Amino acid sequence: MRLYSSEELLNRELCDIMAQEKHRLGLVSLDAPLISNLSVLSNIALIKQYHGGLTVPEAEDIAEMRLKKLHLEDIAAKRNSVLLEVQRFCAMILRAVMVEDAMVVIDRPFKIMPDLDDTHFIREVLTSVDDLFRECHIFDYLWNEERYTGGMIHGA
Amino acid sequence: MTTAIEQIGRSGLHAVRASLDTLAFAFKILARMFDVRAYNSAVRMVLINQIYFTSVQILPLFLAVAVIFGAIVIGIIGQYLIHLGLFDYFGQLLMGFVVTEFAPFITVLLIALRSGSAVNAEIAVMKVNKELNTLHVFRIDEINYLFLPRILSGILSIVLLSSLFSIIVLASGLIFSSLLFDMSMNDYVTALLASAKFSDLIVMLIKCAIMGFFIVMIPIRYGMRATDELTSIPVSVLHGMVNVFIAIMIIEVVSLIVVSSISKFI
Repeated sequence: MRLYSSEELLNRELCDIMAQEKHRLGLVSLDAPLISNLSVLSNIALIKQYHGGLTVPEAEDIAEMRLKKLHLEDIAAKRNSVLLEVQRFCAMILRAVMVEDAMVVIDRPFKIMPDLDDTHFIREVLTSVDDLFRECHIFDYLWNEERYTGGMIHGA
Repeated sequence: MTTAIEQIGRSGLHAVRASLDTLAFAFKILARMFDVRAYNSAVRMVLINQIYFTSVQILPLFLAVAVIFGAIVIGIIGQYLIHLGLFDYFGQLLMGFVVTEFAPFITVLLIALRSGSAVNAEIAVMKVNKELNTLHVFRIDEINYLFLPRILSGILSIVLLSSLFSIIVLASGLIFSSLLFDMSMNDYVTALLASAKFSDLIVMLIKCAIMGFFIVMIPIRYGMRATDELTSIPVSVLHGMVNVFIAIMIIEVVSLIVVSSISKFI
């Protein structure tokens, strides 16, 4: 968890880590939304199709298994605009962990899910997929520190 | 007066720079088109989808337009030729005008109106929604994944649909020439075959491919010019479509000059 006192500072640090780790970066951010003309399944499968050279059925099988892991099979065919905030977050996490040897970077999670009071849900999601990524970093503002009480997440 | 001249100069420079940028972008895309590594499974899937959206979905409308326009054009051409006593040139006009000029023009117009505008809006929306940033973050090359399949589908669609348009018009010409001008099937086919030139067909196909390239590439380029504002989407579509129309006119004129130069040379 990395907390910053200003937006400028946070953005600078985020840009630095994105530049340093671009080959294994799995970004979860509103600045990297799901592709709107693809279903959730295709959004998740796209990474393995493009970088792993997998065929559409192969990549979609993996994506489907990952959705099942979070009990989200029912959103596979849905598109970004109809997702609930928490579903969108989970889809972005699953897309991020499709990156080989992923370093998951979650950029201001409470901006993605403003209704959350604490990190309980985020921790739960990350624990469910903790075998799929190498490390995870959360970037947020210092004034959200209270919402992060109760220990930190795997690798962060 | 000086201000007016400065303004003209500035506009001229702007137009030249924009044209050079567009050509540079076109060369970049062309170079990528011949790079086999660009065609991975994700790109192939987009290409298949785009061919479906551009060439297959339009078929009912396209076939109807081909039959209606074909009948009208053949009726008008035939009537005028009979009136002028030049009906012997019926085959030459069909091949020289309908197949090499009319079919590509109508096809390009339909595809530009339908798919060109859709591609322009799609890219602009992706830009506004920061979806292009998503591709960048996940190291997905936007030229390979987004632009190349759309442009290839534009080229294939124009070439194939233009050929289909010609075939339908000539086939409907067979029916209408026998109904309107009492022309036998044998006379009709003989007139067409006598007027068919292989070089004309090649020029037509090349022209179609060039038009297909530009009527998709220009909307992509203008879609990319959208800003973060939603209001920039209609502006980018407007500019894109105007420039597509200008490009179609330029390609038509250049192809006519090239064809007439080749004819003189031969």
